[in-house]
Amino acid sequence: MKIVVTVKVVPDLNAPKSIDPATKRLVRTGIESQLNPYDEYALEAALQLKERLGGDTTVTLLSMIPESSKETLRKALAMGADDATVLSDGALAGADVAVTARALAAALKKIGFDLVICGGLSDDGSTGGVPGALAEHLGVPGLTNARHIEIESTGLKAQRETDTGYQVVTCPLPALVSVTMAVGEPRYASLKGIMGAKRKSVSTLSAADVGVDAKPKTELLRFAPPPVRVKARIVEAADGPSGAQAIFDFLRERKLV
Amino acid sequence: MQHVIEVVEHRGGQTRKVTFELATQARELAEKLGGTAHAVVLGNGAAQLAESLKTYPLDVVHVSEDPDVDRFLIDPTIDYVESIARATGPSVILLPNTMYGRDVASRLVARLDAGMAADVTGFEIEGGRVACIAPKLGGATITTCAFVDTDYGVVTARPNAFAAQSGGNGARVEQAAKPQSKQYVMHVESEVEEASGELGLEEAPVVVSGGRGLGGPQPFTTLLKPLADALGGAVGASRAAADAGWVPYSLQIGQTGKTVSPNLYIAVGISGAIQHKVGMRSAGTIVAVNKDASAPIAEFSDLVVVGDAFSIIPELTKLIEAAKGYIK
Ligand SMILES: Cc1cc2nc3c(=O)[nH]c(=O)nc-3n(C[C@H](O)[C@H](O)[C@H](O)COP(=O)(O)OP(=O)(O)OC[C@H]3O[C@@H](n4cnc5c(N)ncnc54)[C@H](O)[C@@H]3O)c2cc1C
Repeated sequence: MKIVVTVKVVPDLNAPKSIDPATKRLVRTGIESQLNPYDEYALEAALQLKERLGGDTTVTLLSMIPESSKETLRKALAMGADDATVLSDGALAGADVAVTARALAAALKKIGFDLVICGGLSDDGSTGGVPGALAEHLGVPGLTNARHIEIESTGLKAQRETDTGYQVVTCPLPALVSVTMAVGEPRYASLKGIMGAKRKSVSTLSAADVGVDAKPKTELLRFAPPPVRVKARIVEAADGPSGAQAIFDFLRERKLV
Repeated sequence: MQHVIEVVEHRGGQTRKVTFELATQARELAEKLGGTAHAVVLGNGAAQLAESLKTYPLDVVHVSEDPDVDRFLIDPTIDYVESIARATGPSVILLPNTMYGRDVASRLVARLDAGMAADVTGFEIEGGRVACIAPKLGGATITTCAFVDTDYGVVTARPNAFAAQSGGNGARVEQAAKPQSKQYVMHVESEVEEASGELGLEEAPVVVSGGRGLGGPQPFTTLLKPLADALGGAVGASRAAADAGWVPYSLQIGQTGKTVSPNLYIAVGISGAIQHKVGMRSAGTIVAVNKDASAPIAEFSDLVVVGDAFSIIPELTKLIEAAKGYIK
């Protein structure tokens, strides 16, 4: 079985972020990049399946990133992915959900798959729109927010998180699944994995290679800093009734009780 | 884009306040765009829910109780919405920014070759175009985005960000025609409820949240629940608390949980990591109870009380209970 995991490279989660007024894109220079944490969970789910299924199951990474971010994928290869394909093209810079889904779909059709596993969202974009749109473009079942995946003779069976609990959903393969963090903590790369990753193949495709020519459907008109919050009032050493009274008085003042 | 179509999230006809917020917003936007306002209600209980939507200023409520909608995951819903959207014409499609809403929205992006705007908290009309206001980058910036080169814009709107106002002349309820029959393959085998059907976290006017500082599952029921009850609110949690198994994930607030905008958010034993902050920073008033005065949450709270939650919260609950008794 061929599993493809989509992975994005995002700026360091904890670095302060800003938008470049000229390009209206996220400033990435001077900020370390890392794998999108949600995609590490997708990869973890894929590696668990590979271990359980054995045989000729392979895990391929598919990433739409600039050439310069390729090295960040080594970590995912070190975790245990077999190889990687990078879709890299200046024409795809500034892609929104619509463009990203089209481009990834075109690449997936080219490289082939039995199961696509996506992270639930990207840390920088945070719309969570790609997996669903991608499944539509691929014309395969798209099962989102899975917290547990099993492969059975008839296809796939997953526990899918809902707002109040979960559902058990089945579908045939090929299919696309997006996962939540409940699939399990992403594994660390072993030393052997890190050494081996250097020799794993990372191939590159251009937009023309996969035949995608998509235009964004959204345009950032402007952006502004959020309204400033007045600095917090701080009440120190407020154990017990004194702390409770401080909160109560504050809520009174704001007419919240 | 001229018309506005709200896709309603519900369970067996039970819905949340956001449905009425979006119905109201659908009318406001449709007025400005010179189009019509629609709602789509699908699945078990839809007919009954459509009746309660009639008191909102919509033009048409499209209804179907087709059992396929609940038997199969999402695909039948998308077929209905796509066919209604195409029959209606260029439109803005409104969904709540919930798991369901984001799921439906993402599918429609592909089906309708649409643009998507997530976690939207306001709208502007500029030169006849719809622009969506949404906080991005963990709230570090507020963006305004327009839809371009498309007939459809799909929006997931933040619950509690828009007012709900009933009124209007009573919508027309129409049976939605079954889209061309397809072989659906994603079977919903069973549903398991983990959180009780209490007041939805997203729409609670007050949220009392607990984190790792609570040390275990029990304080969520003995400490936080009574306080939330006294304030007429709901209990939430940080990811650390959910990961530890103290509360179900459905109570988790943040980037990978729910986004809430209550009037009052009380964070108890929560440090205020960026992933937590993005889920609650738009609350009207934020109160933090934390042992550590330098916890990051102090940077975006209105009041920080430095002390032990176990000694403060029960006293606070008592004060609030007493005040309520007095007013009564
Ligand atoms: C990809 C990713 C996604 C994430 N998504 C989310 C998300 O959606 N939501 C989320 O919440 N987190 C999320 N996290 C986790 C987040 O980074 C933090 O780890 C988490 O929010 C910390 O939870 P906490 O504040 O409860 O715990 P801690 O950070 O451990 O803070 C506990 C706080 O309790 C205080 N405390 C301890 N004892 C007491 C006491 N007796 N009285 C008062 N105060 C006390 C301490 O001073 C401390 O400030 C995510 C992380 C990653 C990497």
